[in-house]
Amino acid sequence: MGQWSAAVMIRLKELISDLQDFYLLSFRGVLNIFKRPFYLKDTIEQMDYAGAGSFFIIFIVSLFVGMALSLQLSAELSRLGMKVYTGKVVGISVIRELGPVVAALVFTGRVGAGMASELGLMVLGHQVDTLRVFGVDPVKKLVTPRIVSSIIMLPALTIIGDAVSLFGGYYIAVFVSNQSGALYWSSIREELIFENVFSGAIKPFVFGYLIACICCYTGLSTKGGATGLRQSTTKAVVMSIIMIIVSDFVLTRILLYVLGFSV
Amino acid sequence: MIVFDKVCFSYGVRQIIKDLSFSINSDERVAILGGSGEGKTTILKLIMGLIKPDSGKIIIDGEDITGKTEDELREVRMKFSLVFQEGALFDSLNVKENVAFCLREYTKMTEDEIDRKVRELLRTVGVEHAMEFMPEELSGGMHRRVSIARSLAACEPMMFLYDEPTSGLDPVNADNICKLILELSKDGKGFIIVTHKVVDALRVASRFIFLKDGELVFDGDSEKLLHSDIPDIQVFISELNYAGVKNV
Ligand SMILES: Nc1ncnc2c1ncn2[C@@H]1O[C@H](COP(=O)(O)OP(=O)(O)OP(=O)(O)O)[C@@H](O)[C@H]1O
Ligand SMILES: [Mg+2]
Repeated sequence: MGQWSAAVMIRLKELISDLQDFYLLSFRGVLNIFKRPFYLKDTIEQMDYAGAGSFFIIFIVSLFVGMALSLQLSAELSRLGMKVYTGKVVGISVIRELGPVVAALVFTGRVGAGMASELGLMVLGHQVDTLRVFGVDPVKKLVTPRIVSSIIMLPALTIIGDAVSLFGGYYIAVFVSNQSGALYWSSIREELIFENVFSGAIKPFVFGYLIACICCYTGLSTKGGATGLRQSTTKAVVMSIIMIIVSDFVLTRILLYVLGFSV
Repeated sequence: MIVFDKVCFSYGVRQIIKDLSFSINSDERVAILGGSGEGKTTILKLIMGLIKPDSGKIIIDGEDITGKTEDELREVRMKFSLVFQEGALFDSLNVKENVAFCLREYTKMTEDEIDRKVRELLRTVGVEHAMEFMPEELSGGMHRRVSIARSLAACEPMMFLYDEPTSGLDPVNADNICKLILELSKDGKGFIIVTHKVVDALRVASRFIFLKDGELVFDGDSEKLLHSDIPDIQVFISELNYAGVKNV
């Protein structure tokens, strides 16, 4: 019993110090944006990898999510005789909810996992220690560019993803469900009001920041060879996904409240 | 001057360094010997402040570094040039960019000047032809040498720290590295070389420290080392008997 509680205490202490380190990293990562030296080249490289590199997969995923959503809604709404609402519902779901979340999940899989494994390998190969030996702050050199690139590129990808989803929805609504294209677009345009656009636009910034911090943190705390690398990459992806979904809920709740929607 | 004062260090519950005390002048040529996993690399990391001891003091040029922050440690680290066991080149950069890393970081050299400097450094270590290679295209010996060139570009160190620079190399390459180490310390700069190859240690160093179970069991010159009656050291130097070079 005594042993058991001692083990729990050790675990708990580890957890708390982990959390503390994580907050410190997230905080310093952002603070460094305003401090010299600026690693512009690294940042641009990261942006290229995260943004341009993710374009194709975001395109495909968003297209099919939009089409599937539109298909489901057309089927259900036409049964109720409310097919005209397809555009409206697709628009709201994509802009406020699905677009940001889908883009963030794809981003985690493609970019976040990459960050964690790359940094993990750098730790194991003593490359991070080498940076410190040379007097270079690894947080500034490695983490800050990744945070910056994520909070710029994820919103951009989300906007592209939203647009592609809406087009996918349009295709199904018009060519499969035989609705009027003009009506589809006009009902979407009606939904492009400040409240909807704002709540869809704020999310990707938060998600991007979370993904970059979580993945860099787990990557940099990698220990113990190939198995350790596997664990930290897995942990990075799992934690990011959980945090995206949970923070999406929390953000939605806050935004609905702030923007004066009644639930 | 590096002083270890009753330093203890452990990874988790496993104690690696126990009550270790010694002092090394910055013009000394020291070899730290010991079996695998005895904590030799750990000592170098402690000197650089990459890890912090559980207890005891590490004093470098009169300053205790154990309580220093990462920012304050930068100055201390500039006094040394550490070459890691694995070389630890940045694998996303080619050889040239690896060597140029600190030049780009700390100087305002033009592209031409950097190119010239990098060539010069690579020539010193004898791998000028590999300038455009990526780290994964290098052999073990080349990797090690590029890594030495990179740390030479970093700063004008007061002392060099080498972590097993010759292990895993063929005798010719190992010999080249030994020559390079001696060459670099020609102007009176000292070094600490960590190794388990006594032959190489005897070639370059004049003082020997032997570690066993995280404790210092021997500290003396080559004469004393060769006639030591500590069993572990005798096993180490028996390698020399086979090679027939006991009377170097
Ligand atoms: N990151 C780490 N986490 C846990 N234990 C470690 C870690 N690094 C090293 N150790 C342990 O510390 C001990 C000393 O390691 P160190 O790297 O200093 O050995 P070494 O003397 O350099 O060995 P070698 O000659 O093989 O390089 C080893 O037993 C090793 O198992
Ligand atoms: Mg070692």
